[in-house]
Amino acid sequence: MTEEEQNRVYWEGLRKGDKESFFSLYNNIYFHLVRWGLKITADDELVKDCVTQLFFQLWDKRHRLNPVDNVRAYLFTSLRRMLIEQLGRYSKVDAAITQLADEEVLNELSYEEIIVGVQRDEELRQKLHRALQQLSPRQIELIRLVFFEGLTYEEVAARTSQSIKTAYNTIYNAMQVLRRLLK
Amino acid sequence: MDKSSYTAEDFVCDESFRNYCLGSDETAVQFWKTWIQDHPGKAEEVSEAQRLFSILNARQGNVQEQLDQLKDGILRFDMLKATIGEAGEDRSERRRERAGGEVDPNDGRVDRGDKRAKWEVGWRYGMGIAAALLVVAAAVWLLVPVKQTPPDRRTAYEIRSGVEPRKTVVLPDGSVVTLHSNTTLRLAEGFGRSGRELTLSGEALFDIAHGGDHPFIVHTSTIDVEVLGTLFNLNAYPQMGYTEASLFRGKIAVSLKDHPEKKMVLTPSQKSVVFNRGNIVSPDVVADSVLKKVSLSVDPVDHKAKEIAWVRNRIRIEDEPLASIAARLQGWYGIPIVFTDNEVKTYRYSGTFESETVVKALEALQLSYPFNFRVERDTIIIGK
Repeated sequence: MTEEEQNRVYWEGLRKGDKESFFSLYNNIYFHLVRWGLKITADDELVKDCVTQLFFQLWDKRHRLNPVDNVRAYLFTSLRRMLIEQLGRYSKVDAAITQLADEEVLNELSYEEIIVGVQRDEELRQKLHRALQQLSPRQIELIRLVFFEGLTYEEVAARTSQSIKTAYNTIYNAMQVLRRLLK
Repeated sequence: MDKSSYTAEDFVCDESFRNYCLGSDETAVQFWKTWIQDHPGKAEEVSEAQRLFSILNARQGNVQEQLDQLKDGILRFDMLKATIGEAGEDRSERRRERAGGEVDPNDGRVDRGDKRAKWEVGWRYGMGIAAALLVVAAAVWLLVPVKQTPPDRRTAYEIRSGVEPRKTVVLPDGSVVTLHSNTTLRLAEGFGRSGRELTLSGEALFDIAHGGDHPFIVHTSTIDVEVLGTLFNLNAYPQMGYTEASLFRGKIAVSLKDHPEKKMVLTPSQKSVVFNRGNIVSPDVVADSVLKKVSLSVDPVDHKAKEIAWVRNRIRIEDEPLASIAARLQGWYGIPIVFTDNEVKTYRYSGTFESETVVKALEALQLSYPFNFRVERDTIIIGK
């Protein structure tokens, strides 16, 4: 069963009020939602709070939920709407941003923008920004796949047409550089 | 390679170590928890690895911890629903009992052909300008603008109910809060991590999650409420003229914003009432009534406190002057209500109703003792 097929089964369970299905759905989709949210705003706390809130609302109205074809897409849209609404509240140009977002003109944040953006400490932000410049684009891409997207070395190797060993070594070397520069 | 010779780089490159950080694999979590405990000498390398991981992972969090918090929130939410009870009890039965033998010509359901408008009208007009403590002067509330530091929300996180009659949310620490209409909750920076403080404007029912290293503190414009695992209702609409904290379970400490040394500890079924400054008529009254402790008004029929009647989807009025009723309706429906006549403000009414519109609510009040009202633009104007 693919992940989406599982999600659909859990969704149906949720509609019947089954808590286990509900929690399984959360487990299945949590990181997908958080990553999706981070591409909209590099505010990890807001993203995580909205994901919790989204699931809370699902539970609250479980008996009124309709069947959906694509659970992930449905949840992505809901999360996006929530985030945009929250972001609008904190922005002076809220109306403009909301409108922009509705028209889907907002650009997705890049991996580098996200990891620098979620750091609260200005000094660390600067260090991270400089450290990333010391890495090759290929190193950054592999780090993104492994650390952000959560792929295994095997999946990375398959996707980038190289051996597992090479993928591992590339990342290991990058970690040595980062550890030194982020001290 | 033996893990006991691992460096931070080795840890962070280890797939199962990453799964432990994410909380995404039960076996990995168990293994690493035990391993880290058994190898205190590696603590420094492990924490450096965790730091690196969290940076590169963009703080996506730990799914297991997040899920536990959600589970806790859901549990509380279900319990809360059971506590406050759901709508749909036999209303007519209750109404008859409440009337308690009193003959009330207006007691009865007003049915104007609209089946959905379930009215429970039992308005009693009570004369007497009896020591009306609640002088609800049209409080001039200066809306203090939130310090705007967009787009960095880390300063605060706001939840608003807007016109929704009730909105329930689960906070990052697992506490469940039901907001009344026109209510704003502002979570302080780092809520659930470095502290549990928030600011309330409006009314909300709190079911606070136990534990945590941080006390749960609610600030309002007049009082601060400190909590340790509890269920309580806080009514702090700025325009109301008073702030009420009603406790149902656990323990809370209420202190005055202006005089933090004036602290009052509440036990279940008690409430504190604080009259806002500017709404107190004479200085004599100030001394006694700034911070009052009274028992909750429990409904003799359903044994539920009238303080949380709003959660059960109705407004309950017990011998209140129209001025204070208007303030409640204003909060409930989110529409300004003004008076053109002072005498009307002192008319007193009692009753409970569930309604669809504010206009129907006022029409029901008119039935028991007449006054006039009209809706102009977005304001309701009440006169003689």
